[in-house]
Amino acid sequence: MIRALSLVTRRQWDRHRLRTGLTMLGIALGVSVIFAVRTANITLLGSLRQTIEKLAGTATLQVIGGESGFPEEVLDLVRSTIGVQIAEPVIEVVAHTAFSDEASLMVIGVDTTGDQELREYQFDESRSEIGDPLVYVAQPDSILISRPFADKHGLKEEDRLPLFTSHGRKEFTIRGIFKPVGIGEVFGGQVAVMDVYSAQFVFDRGRNFDRIDLMTDPEVPIETVERRLRDQLPAGLEVTRPASRGEGIENTVAAMRQGLIITSFIALLVGLFIIFNAFSISVNQRWKEIGVLRALGVEAPNIQRMFLGEAAVIGMLGSLIGVAGGFYIAVGATEVVSGIASAVYGYASTPEPPIFRLDYALEAFAAGTLTSLVAAWLPARAAARLNPALALHNIETRQPEAVLGRPRMLAGLGLILSGLAFIRFSTPRVGLMLQFGYVVLIVLGLIIVLPMLAQWIARALRPVMAWAFGPEGLLAIDTMIKAPRRTSATVGALMIGLMFVFSTGAYIQSYQNLVMRWMDRTINSDLFVTTSEQARSRTYHFSEALSQRIAALPGVKRVENVRFTFVPFAGDTAAVITIEMDGWFDRQHHPVEEGDDRLARELLPKGEGFVIARNFSTRWGTRVGDRLRLESPTGPLERPVIGIIEDYSSEKGSVFMDRELFKTYWRDSAIDFIDINLLPGVDRAAFKSELQRMLAGEQRAFIYTNDEYKRWVMSLIDQFFTLNYMQMVVAIFVAAIGIVNTLIISVSERRREIGVIRAIGGLRGQVRKMVLLEAVAIAIVGLVVGALAGALNTYFLIRTAAVILAGFTIPFHFPATLIIISMPIVVVIALAAAWLPARHAVDLHVAEAIGYE
Amino acid sequence: MPQMVELIDVSRDYGDVDVVHALRHFHLRIEQGERVAIMGPSGSGKSTLLNLVCGLDEPTTGVIKIEGIELSRLDDDARTRLRREKIGMVFQTFNLLSTLNALENVALPLRLNGLGPREAERRGRILLERVGLGSRMAHLPDALSGGERQRTAIARALIFQPPLLLADEPTGNLDSATGDDILHLLDDLHREFETTILLVTHNELAAAYCDRIVRMRDGSVLREERLLKTGAEIEQ
Ligand SMILES: Nc1ncnc2c1ncn2[C@@H]1O[C@H](COP(=O)(O)OP(=O)(O)O)[C@@H](O)[C@H]1O
Ligand SMILES: [Mg+2]
Repeated sequence: MIRALSLVTRRQWDRHRLRTGLTMLGIALGVSVIFAVRTANITLLGSLRQTIEKLAGTATLQVIGGESGFPEEVLDLVRSTIGVQIAEPVIEVVAHTAFSDEASLMVIGVDTTGDQELREYQFDESRSEIGDPLVYVAQPDSILISRPFADKHGLKEEDRLPLFTSHGRKEFTIRGIFKPVGIGEVFGGQVAVMDVYSAQFVFDRGRNFDRIDLMTDPEVPIETVERRLRDQLPAGLEVTRPASRGEGIENTVAAMRQGLIITSFIALLVGLFIIFNAFSISVNQRWKEIGVLRALGVEAPNIQRMFLGEAAVIGMLGSLIGVAGGFYIAVGATEVVSGIASAVYGYASTPEPPIFRLDYALEAFAAGTLTSLVAAWLPARAAARLNPALALHNIETRQPEAVLGRPRMLAGLGLILSGLAFIRFSTPRVGLMLQFGYVVLIVLGLIIVLPMLAQWIARALRPVMAWAFGPEGLLAIDTMIKAPRRTSATVGALMIGLMFVFSTGAYIQSYQNLVMRWMDRTINSDLFVTTSEQARSRTYHFSEALSQRIAALPGVKRVENVRFTFVPFAGDTAAVITIEMDGWFDRQHHPVEEGDDRLARELLPKGEGFVIARNFSTRWGTRVGDRLRLESPTGPLERPVIGIIEDYSSEKGSVFMDRELFKTYWRDSAIDFIDINLLPGVDRAAFKSELQRMLAGEQRAFIYTNDEYKRWVMSLIDQFFTLNYMQMVVAIFVAAIGIVNTLIISVSERRREIGVIRAIGGLRGQVRKMVLLEAVAIAIVGLVVGALAGALNTYFLIRTAAVILAGFTIPFHFPATLIIISMPIVVVIALAAAWLPARHAVDLHVAEAIGYE
Repeated sequence: MPQMVELIDVSRDYGDVDVVHALRHFHLRIEQGERVAIMGPSGSGKSTLLNLVCGLDEPTTGVIKIEGIELSRLDDDARTRLRREKIGMVFQTFNLLSTLNALENVALPLRLNGLGPREAERRGRILLERVGLGSRMAHLPDALSGGERQRTAIARALIFQPPLLLADEPTGNLDSATGDDILHLLDDLHREFETTILLVTHNELAAAYCDRIVRMRDGSVLREERLLKTGAEIEQ
């Protein structure tokens, strides 16, 4: 029986090759987005992890601090710990060459005499007579570089290598070139090694190390040494194995990852809708065939099985294509996430080819197939329940469709309202999966009320269409009103796609508006000097000497030094923003929105308190008056929270403290941003170009005027959302496929009708216009319901997602501009999608269409 | 005055490999106002003939003229316009648009011709009254009986008061009483508008309403009969 039915199915596919292909493509796209995003994530993490492990050499344990590192004395403490055999200090800096391309170079500072026991350095044979290059490099101004870097820049031993350091441009002598193995492999081979004490000096690390790599006595269990070290060292230092450090990074980029998971989830939802769409239409179109099969004695369950079998095969094929395609998309997606990781989080990584993970592939495959089955479930059931006698009737006498009942409408509204209520009243701490449930409720409700809603909108649109486009417009819109089953599925696909686009766009826009307003209020220095074009560099900083030079320039009123860094906090990290608090408060109008502004102004500059960001308070439940304890490399630092301020510097939540306090506890005088305030009457642009002239070729620094700085921050936010933008495009693309699919089916289903119109005098152009207008009508109705769904989902993103991910409270903005802008775009896309179906309609052989059924 | 319809040595073949000769060297001339019945077994080429006359199909060889205009000299749009204005068509399966009500169906050709909805529907209403459907104008085809649907289709065919009406088995899907009503209606309309009618039918009674019967077989004329008095005149 099933065999015989599969023949029927195959014939159907053969006859509707285009439609089947498009349906598969719908799934394939959904699956590919999920697979690509996950692959890109794992590839990025893999490459970051690999870098860590290669840099660790044979070290069994590492001592690490926050980004500031920790004082040298820790090394003695570690070395004197029983069970520690070798302990070697490390400094890592991603620096830039002073060659014209300012290529980035990872500079690793090690104690060259002892480090060979931990890390392998294989030098090219050529210069072996000089002796051990590692000994030479202990001299300041000496450097070792890797072969790939040497080849790229045409460098040989004894050549000079100019680098931008924290103390400006410095030339180093190349003492050796090592092979691209071990440490030489990391960062795409763009690696150099220098003495750790030289590195401390040229990169202004004071007397700090970033890390201690150590090897334990093989006789003593590693855990024992680990425990001993933990007991001895300040809580701000972490003792860890190289392999587990990757988890820390995973934590850091968590917000990015979770954001992508949310959007992937929605992408699959669009895919689900395409299939639901295709299958309801298919069942609708094969009405008669089903009737015949039932009349021939095929049982209802077998009809259902026939459709589910089709769904399974389409799902599997589509998923297969999706996994394959997703892997290719992952190449680009990896670049994007790597870009985000380095721009937003300061994690430099080299582009790696995507890693193929069989488990991810299988999961994506299963998700696609399952989605397909779920989507086909209702249509298959409808097919099985079809009354055979009714089905065999002429198409024209088919019963009007019973999808518009009042109970249905009420049930749908109930679901939507309960979803909204959950979003409004539940706490943000219930977990991501449960929160997704709220959107699912809303979407489900929308889908249920959709046919009726679409019909209402189409009715309202009818006179407009008739007035604007004449009979063709009328014919086009009537199809929507009279055959809601056929079009409401497409409208649904469009709705989900647009919902995704509108809400993502609105979310980004609301977020940007918020940040812009916040910056307008708080960013009030005239000029800003930064270390990187990206958000920040984790390893490269300015020295105070530079800031003093700038402060001494004519026209400068005052300079403030900002250190923006991350410290370990409660198993996660917290951002720490340090600045000369007196100057900062002077320029802020009324920064403390909760707590005592006057007290904050008084205590913070003295280092007697913290001010925290609102999202820090939301994330960790810290309130004004609480004592907040941070673990510094020199011991715990505990201060009362004097106030809460609005701040969007980090989704981790920021703690503000005075620069002197930070310097004392972290022994870190590095600077990430220099805020320059000019004397009245000094021109910003003129000062900027003067400063640029002064620093050119000498210091790697980026200078922004106030406006430029704000724009730069906005562009970073844009970059953070790049993948979301890409997913928006995919969503629209998938929805467009839905439209093509529906219209092709619509045209083939209405062959006769189109034939009649031609027979009674409809011109080819009129038929084309009619099909195109049908697409326009679908697009308009889709836009209206999409706007509604988009607004609801924006509410979700803002109330729930933003709060979970970052603790940000973003005001709700109806995405009106976005909707208005997208209207013509969506209509044009719909017209493009209708082009092929319109041609089918125009090329229809009229005599055949009306002569035969 | 030119002939209303003139077919000169028309052939229509279907297919490349297994060629079907649907019409072979077919000649036919229909005068203005004449009523011609085409009869013949299924597959003898009757529908093919109508499709050719109204320009929905093109002959493999031969010439077709409507009011002296050679169809093959017109492009598709011109042929469509000619069909819209000069030829009304009635089908066995009615072929009404299921999403439009009776009035909208009738007014559709006018609207396709660019007439405003108000004027188009005014004229549609007149015609629907004329075919006896004044009270059913707002009904969708699904809500109409077979006979009512065919009346609607006839009203639609006549909305331009075309000189030529083509009807392909218009009573084929109707019971005989309803079929008779339709034939009466066509007869009345013929007298009123002096429409030339080309009627395909299986029904001898229906054919009796015509001036001439062309009997076909295998794409050729088997025999032609000229009726001195039509069925309607006999009835009276
Ligand atoms: N589009 C077509 N393709 C192939 N053969 C056709 C087509 N249309 C009609 N025929 C064939 O042409 C012959 C005449 O058909 P038709 O004119 O429909 O006959 P009638 O209307 O007298 O029953 C038949 O053998 C039919 O099968
Ligand atoms: Mg026929």
